[in-house]
Amino acid sequence: MAAREPAKRIIQQVRPILSVDREEARQRVINLYKAWHRTAPFIVEKFDIPKSVPQVRQKLKEEFIKNKDVSDVRVIDMLVIKGQMELKEITKIWKQKGHIMRYWQESIEYKPNDFLSKFMSGHN
Amino acid sequence: MANVLVRVNSAPKQQLAASLLPLFKNIQIRSNSAQVSTPPPQTKTKFGGLADQDRVFTNLYGRHDWRLKGAMKRGDWYKTKEILEKGVDWILNEIKASGLRGRGGAGFPSGMKWSFMNKPSDGRPKYLVVNADEGEPGTCKDREIMRHDPHKLIEGCLIAGRAMGARAAYIYIRGEFYNEASNMQLAIAEAYQAGLLGKNACNSGYDFDVFMHRGAGAYICGEETALIESLEGKQGKPRLKPPFPADVGVFGCPTTVANVETVAVAPTICRRGGVWFASFGRTRNSGTKLFNISGHVNNPCTVEEEMSIPLKELIERHCGGVRGGWDNLLGIIPGGSSTPIIPKDVCAEALMDFDGLVACQTSLGTAAIIVMDKSTDVIKAIARLIAFYKHESCGQCTPCREGVSWMNKIMTRFVSGNARPDEIDMLWEVSKQIEGHSICALGDGAAWPVQGLIRHFRPVIEQRMQDFEKRQEATN
Amino acid sequence: MLRAPMFRALVLAQLPSRAGILFTTSRMQSNAPAKAPEKIEVFIDDQPVMVAPGTTVLQAAAQVGVEIPRFCYHERLAVAGNCRMCLVEVEKSPKPVAACAMPVMKGWRIKTNSDMTRKAREGVMEFLLSNHPLDCPICDQGGECDLQDQAMAFGSDRSRFTDINHAGKRAVEDKDIGPLVKTIMTRCIHCTRCIRFASEVAGVDDLGTTGRGNEMQVGMYVEKLFLTELSGNVIDLCPVGALTNKPYSFVARPWEIRKVDSIDVLDALGSNIVVSTRTGEVLRILPRENEDINEEWLSDKSRFACDGLKRQRLITPMLRKPDGEFEAVEWESALITAAQAIRNAPKDKIAAVAGSLVDAEQLVAVKDLLNRLGSELLCTEQKFPTADGTSGTDLRSNYLLNSSIASCEDADLVLLVGTNPRYEAPLLNTRLRKGYVHKEQDIAYIGPEVDLSYRYEYLGNRSLTIEDIAKGKHPFAQRLKQAKRPLIIVGANALARNDGKAYIAALQSFARQLKPEDKNWKVWNVLQTNASQVAALDVGYKPGVEEVLAAQPKVLFLLGADGNAVNKENIPKDCFVIYQGHHGDQGAQLAHAILPGAAYTEKQGTYVNTEGRAQQTLVAVSPPGMAREDWKIIRALSEVVGTVLPYDTLDELRNRMEDIAPHLVRYGHLEENNFYAQAEQLIKTQASSFQGDVDVNQKSLEDFFMTDSITRASPTMAKCVAAVKKAQATG
Repeated sequence: MAAREPAKRIIQQVRPILSVDREEARQRVINLYKAWHRTAPFIVEKFDIPKSVPQVRQKLKEEFIKNKDVSDVRVIDMLVIKGQMELKEITKIWKQKGHIMRYWQESIEYKPNDFLSKFMSGHN
Repeated sequence: MANVLVRVNSAPKQQLAASLLPLFKNIQIRSNSAQVSTPPPQTKTKFGGLADQDRVFTNLYGRHDWRLKGAMKRGDWYKTKEILEKGVDWILNEIKASGLRGRGGAGFPSGMKWSFMNKPSDGRPKYLVVNADEGEPGTCKDREIMRHDPHKLIEGCLIAGRAMGARAAYIYIRGEFYNEASNMQLAIAEAYQAGLLGKNACNSGYDFDVFMHRGAGAYICGEETALIESLEGKQGKPRLKPPFPADVGVFGCPTTVANVETVAVAPTICRRGGVWFASFGRTRNSGTKLFNISGHVNNPCTVEEEMSIPLKELIERHCGGVRGGWDNLLGIIPGGSSTPIIPKDVCAEALMDFDGLVACQTSLGTAAIIVMDKSTDVIKAIARLIAFYKHESCGQCTPCREGVSWMNKIMTRFVSGNARPDEIDMLWEVSKQIEGHSICALGDGAAWPVQGLIRHFRPVIEQRMQDFEKRQEATN
Repeated sequence: MLRAPMFRALVLAQLPSRAGILFTTSRMQSNAPAKAPEKIEVFIDDQPVMVAPGTTVLQAAAQVGVEIPRFCYHERLAVAGNCRMCLVEVEKSPKPVAACAMPVMKGWRIKTNSDMTRKAREGVMEFLLSNHPLDCPICDQGGECDLQDQAMAFGSDRSRFTDINHAGKRAVEDKDIGPLVKTIMTRCIHCTRCIRFASEVAGVDDLGTTGRGNEMQVGMYVEKLFLTELSGNVIDLCPVGALTNKPYSFVARPWEIRKVDSIDVLDALGSNIVVSTRTGEVLRILPRENEDINEEWLSDKSRFACDGLKRQRLITPMLRKPDGEFEAVEWESALITAAQAIRNAPKDKIAAVAGSLVDAEQLVAVKDLLNRLGSELLCTEQKFPTADGTSGTDLRSNYLLNSSIASCEDADLVLLVGTNPRYEAPLLNTRLRKGYVHKEQDIAYIGPEVDLSYRYEYLGNRSLTIEDIAKGKHPFAQRLKQAKRPLIIVGANALARNDGKAYIAALQSFARQLKPEDKNWKVWNVLQTNASQVAALDVGYKPGVEEVLAAQPKVLFLLGADGNAVNKENIPKDCFVIYQGHHGDQGAQLAHAILPGAAYTEKQGTYVNTEGRAQQTLVAVSPPGMAREDWKIIRALSEVVGTVLPYDTLDELRNRMEDIAPHLVRYGHLEENNFYAQAEQLIKTQASSFQGDVDVNQKSLEDFFMTDSITRASPTMAKCVAAVKKAQATG
């Protein structure tokens, strides 16, 4: 009984969300990417964003590449699920224009570090 | 007359000049050897019926000359010099032996009070202040003294002043007493001119001045510290005690405030001896006293009688009895408006002295007896007194300022009966919240009549409320 | 303690002859050798405590931490004993005694929580409330009301007051007593604190009671204004909402506001204050207790001028366009323009003039910058005769109120020269009045005749008198020599004159000749009028602008210099003027570049008061608009100029300040001064003579309210001036 416990824990740890191995996960990512890729013209048209289809695809690629170093299968699966939810929200037009445009917005402004910049911005 | 007036006008200037001279040489350090006399033990059992030769105030009714000449004929200013020369200890001893208690209402032993002043001097002058602001409703004894026997008071000032080493006496007289003030002032001027006052008064080597000050008509100025404030030219509002006037009094100097009657009997006590005075009345209540009987009696009067005389006897003997007979009596306020009322059955037993009336849950006060027969609306009578106290409250301290006007509001409703019976208890509590919580005794004096009323006449109040309710129901 | 007979106060009202008697008698008492009082033991709620004889029950209870409720009693005022809230039971006493007035006797057992005590309190509270309007929801005192608090703590849980006739509660007409204090007299509970404050502390017998009984009213007897420089304190004293702050009325509730402890800078005393703010706005200023400086009072200027902080503010950097108009710009361009002017100027032609409200941080930063650039042209607006006329360095004892503010009341003979402390430093004047009333202090005065709120010996306004005193020819010189604790207080404005040197030379050497009883007693005192002056002199600014202007500077910093010392006439023609400050006042009009700074409620700044005590203000609100803390402006400018100052944070700057003058960062501490002899020596080497009569700047109340850029911007202060002028015009 004592010998079985560690083994049980390992099984629990690796219990998959969707994919059992890396390959299956990869396939899911590619499927998701394709689905998004196909939706790009729809996004441009339906949401009337000031972006072209290639620009949207470029952003799509950027967003996927942001996570290129994720190796944990479970994390990949979770990201895929979130990606699917996001896609659904767009196709059903639960989202609005501003939500889409947020992908192109730089959200973090770095605070000034030196005295003079701090002084000018009033951040001191 | 015109001559006299001119002289009156010039007198105060001399007084002022004299007052500026430092004068402390007369102050003697009292030796402890003087035996302090105590009044003799009680032996008498019957009081009243004061003989004419034992009266102190022989011109109470103004039948004789009140001027200096007449006064001297009646024995005033007789051998005053010799009395003064007997010294402080002798005078104080006689006063103590006489058992004289203050006649202003509180009844503090005068000998003891005067001896408080004889502490070694710290350089400040001492003053005697005579409280002639007789404002208590029902009281009319001091005015008779000042109007008809002013020289008794002036001589008393000199002797009492001597006993406490005072530099001068201030007589604070009630503003409404115009004739009294004018007689007083003339008498003072006469005394100055005869050398009885001023520098080297009565040739005794003792310098003593008497000033008279007319008040502006406020009941509260009869309270000793308020009187001092008023004398200093401020608003007549009582001071906190301590410090007592014997330490910090008028103009910041040691002061004794004494009632007119107390001061005025002092010369006679010194002349006839303390033992003589103590022979009247019960122990600790000795002496003769001026009683003022007003109200529903056949013959209202001011009369000098022996202390401890039974109330009933006093009324029967001097006033011709209660209107419509003793059985027509409803109640009596025995000591001026601030003392609690007592009903007829208590009146029959009451002895008119300090202890006797305390035993009846009332007080001798100024011995101003207000008699009410059965035609009186007793609630209205007390309500009128409360209205008086509300009007005369100085407004300085909270319980009196707010409490008395509140009581007045309640009492006004009680008169018509427009109230609930439980408000009687509330009124009782309110009066208890005032009593003993205020700076001076005016608060107490306002609370006591109400307490007396509730104590003895509660059924009357309740009956009136029921009547009111019935009338209300009838009209609805 | 007890209602002390105030002989000195009486004197004013009494006939001279009688006053004379009282005078000597009270003096005789005070000179009697004081016996070491033996302590007596009393019991407060069975807790034994040893107290000095004469201690009141209330004070004895306070010693063991038992607080007895009170309305009329106040530590700094005479005892009135009229509210009766402090009644307590004393064992064996038939009736309760007033704790505030009754001195304890040996072995007394005082019960502060017995049935009798509680009943007495409840009764008094019921009486007070029976005629007190139910105004709490619309009363400005609500939330900080003694009556509210004590009704909660000691009052009954229900009211028995019935009013079936609808007669109503007592109603009293409100009185107009000026633009500062609002009266709602129906709320008055007749504690008479305001009356006692006016007659004892402020020295104006304007307030009093009229009527009696339930119709008694607190008021001014006749319809007039409560004209005193300390009137605001009655608002704090009033235990209910009868006297409230007029400019603050219906503005905020005490639970909504944030309170920040700070320092007042509108006079040189450095009174301790609490700044109440809400949503970035200063709403009101209250005094904070400090026994060494302001006790718990505050002058009206310090209290009510806070609305000046919202008006006439400089909120953005500005540059003067070629056509003479100002143009709002960003910080960047303002700093670059200023830096260019500095870089183009010759190194020794850059100058700075410090005004009256500048903090020590800014003073140090500006001095560091100019020194690094190679200039020594730094000065304060107000002149002062320095000990060494050439170098500008000075000895501290020369320009300070050397004997502290608190000990001014202990002096037995005071000579005031060319100063009106009543308006230049109202809270120093209350100290002098306290000494005069309670401690047999005599005061003499040289200058134009003014009302100091107490009687003084008037020595005329001729400067010849000073010379006579200094030479010992004047009879008053003898009295000073005989005095045990003499004090000479000279006004900074007298010394700021061209002949100021003569004053200091004559009086300081005379002060040295005096032999006070106590060796450490300081006779020589200067009463400064500007909050920044002492710190500026401490860090090495030269007093007076003449020298700096004579050097024909090409760049001139005006650091809040609005005192008209630098003006259109005396400013060099081709000079580039940089004004740094918080109000668009006189100085800003001269500027080519305006750098908006922070007022004293908006920065953490160090100020040194006239006695040499360093204290700091704290940030209550942030500076408005683009305004910045002052030292940071200089620090930023230094970087643009290319001479970077070596501190980025306040702590680093304060380390630098500590290097220059360690006392600047010892907050609340009073530094001992010495070198009196040397100071005198230095002064003596310079010949000087008097010119003209002695004068003071602020002679009457109307001169008091507007003295600097903040008060000049304050509408309340303007109303005060108008009210005083109107009152004077109508007689």
